[in-house]
Amino acid sequence: MKAKETFIPKREEPEPTRPTAAASVVGLSKRFGKASILENISFDVAEGEVLVLLGASGSGKTTILRIIAGLEMPYTGKVILHGRDVTELPARERGVGVIFQSYALFPKMTVEKNIGYGLRIRKRKRKQIRETVNELLSLVQLEEHRKKYPSQLSGGQQQRVAIARTLAYKPEVLLFDEPFGALDTQTRVHLRREIRALLKKVNVPSIFITHDQEEALELGDRVAVLNVGHIEQIGTPFEIYNYPATEYVATFLGAANVLEAVVRGDFLEVGSARIPATLDQEKFREGDCVNIVFRPEDVSLSRGDLPRSTHPRLSSARIEEIAFVGAYERLRLRVDASDECKTDETPFYLTTETPDRKPTKSIIATRPKPEASSMRLHVGEKVSVALTSFTVLPQKGTKG
Amino acid sequence: MSSVAPAMRHVRGFDVARPLSIGVLVFLMLPLVFLPLASIFIFGTSNGLDKFWAALTAPEAIFALKLSMATSFWATVFNVIFGLFAAYVLSRYNFWGRNALIVTISLPTAIPTAVAGFALLLLWGPYGTLGRLLTPHGFQIMFTAGAIILANIFVTFPLAFGVIKPVFDTMSHSLEEASATIGATRWQTFWHVTLPSLRGAIVSGALLTFARAVGEFGSTILVSGNLAGRTQTAPLYIFAKFNEGQIEAANAIAIVLALFSFLIFSVLFFARDWLDVD
Repeated sequence: MKAKETFIPKREEPEPTRPTAAASVVGLSKRFGKASILENISFDVAEGEVLVLLGASGSGKTTILRIIAGLEMPYTGKVILHGRDVTELPARERGVGVIFQSYALFPKMTVEKNIGYGLRIRKRKRKQIRETVNELLSLVQLEEHRKKYPSQLSGGQQQRVAIARTLAYKPEVLLFDEPFGALDTQTRVHLRREIRALLKKVNVPSIFITHDQEEALELGDRVAVLNVGHIEQIGTPFEIYNYPATEYVATFLGAANVLEAVVRGDFLEVGSARIPATLDQEKFREGDCVNIVFRPEDVSLSRGDLPRSTHPRLSSARIEEIAFVGAYERLRLRVDASDECKTDETPFYLTTETPDRKPTKSIIATRPKPEASSMRLHVGEKVSVALTSFTVLPQKGTKG
Repeated sequence: MSSVAPAMRHVRGFDVARPLSIGVLVFLMLPLVFLPLASIFIFGTSNGLDKFWAALTAPEAIFALKLSMATSFWATVFNVIFGLFAAYVLSRYNFWGRNALIVTISLPTAIPTAVAGFALLLLWGPYGTLGRLLTPHGFQIMFTAGAIILANIFVTFPLAFGVIKPVFDTMSHSLEEASATIGATRWQTFWHVTLPSLRGAIVSGALLTFARAVGEFGSTILVSGNLAGRTQTAPLYIFAKFNEGQIEAANAIAIVLALFSFLIFSVLFFARDWLDVD
């Protein structure tokens, strides 16, 4: 089964069932003075779903979170929680749980006081508060720390207290603001697995924000990629990694190679190579310049001119650099590039173009360890390059 | 003639600079602080403890001490509440004229206390800007205990504010935001989250204000009228008795005031940990 512009066998994935949206934002925008921070942001989070807002700093992800929490007002747009329009409500009436980056635990309250806070200010009965706090303490496995103060806990324990504190009042949605930002890499990986398991257990819809793509792919049922105030793509981790909708998404999520190509009938012309591709006639026209985007692990190398597989081939390439990066080998290769697409966006120094030579461009390929050791390659060697999968994207500036 | 001096003998772990500098410090403080304080006690008890006790329990002396405590107490209550409020407003909101307000609140520390007393007289006194209008209606706050409280408020104005404001400034804003998202009203947030973090600052601000108010002299002598048994505070009593030549009487009160400040600053110093942590 082939998607129209993507050429990898699509894994059969069960469509995630989304009966009702637990939380949704519709057409959010935000301005500070004349600067536009957010433009027309819309998305839904289903019951029990984890949505990750992934973006670089300055992409506006924190602002979205604060608008949903009621800590900031949008310029236009609505926030809807379980069918209720809460845009005009103050933070305290929304029933949203926010886990701040710094956890924001109350320093003068013990762990159990922190967890019970939401119920105390709701004037619940003491017995009920005690029971809920006990339940949550065992859920986050902090029973023996109940009498401690936040400053006596580790970062991970503090975070669990912060989560329990919001779960106590049964929030409509949980919002996590870069929850692992302040932790070291090992703790971070450990904690995000723990939290994912916890969230699946309590089944509360959650929105995470992060700038870490690995975190986004691992935590999210779906991921929304943000770029300077708008959503570039929203989809399952599998979708956005394998079928990036834009070049930004492709390059932001892991490494990606971008080569220019020209549409020629049922083929794409990249320098001297022709790649078979059936394209959406609406989107791509004969003679259009397009970008071919592929990941380093989608590059298949073989020695000499013999193609190793039936995958579409680029021109043969010369190996410029080989590096061992732990689990795999990374190679830099120089392939022929197209010279018909002169876009102002490609700075001249990125392509080596001299009048007497064909234009070339370097791409990155990776090979897993077994392959690297069974077929040793050396710098300067000529190899043939095939692509096991790639995505075709319209170039910026051309109408799509 | 050997040009190479034998290396100085080195006693392990002994640094000459240490006892030397400590000695110099104590020696310098001796005539400046220790001896004046000591002489109060030496002189006060030199005629025997009976005389000291008699001087201390004279009705006017007791009255002066009580008046000092009462007026300082009310000035402290006012300035702590006001300082808390002012710190909250000036730390949470940014507005035009904010820095001007901060400078104005801090100004009384730099104004000579006599000037402060004089200023109050010029406002509230019988011929003052406001006093001129109020006196005919039988309202005259000057030369009463109220005037002493006003003067105390004026001169200790910035103390509690100065201690509380930095704590407000460094307090993480996300604590209050967290409390709001959990569902607390502003008042609940202030009461359960903000105030507990300020407890240490409030206690030390209050002690500082009180200690300073008890010792106030310059402004009090101008606004109180210095009437023995009516508007005479402890420092004024010391001054009056000294002028009358009753050194023992003055001295007995001086001892009480000195001990009192010593006590307050010991609390501030040793209870620092308790004030900050639960």
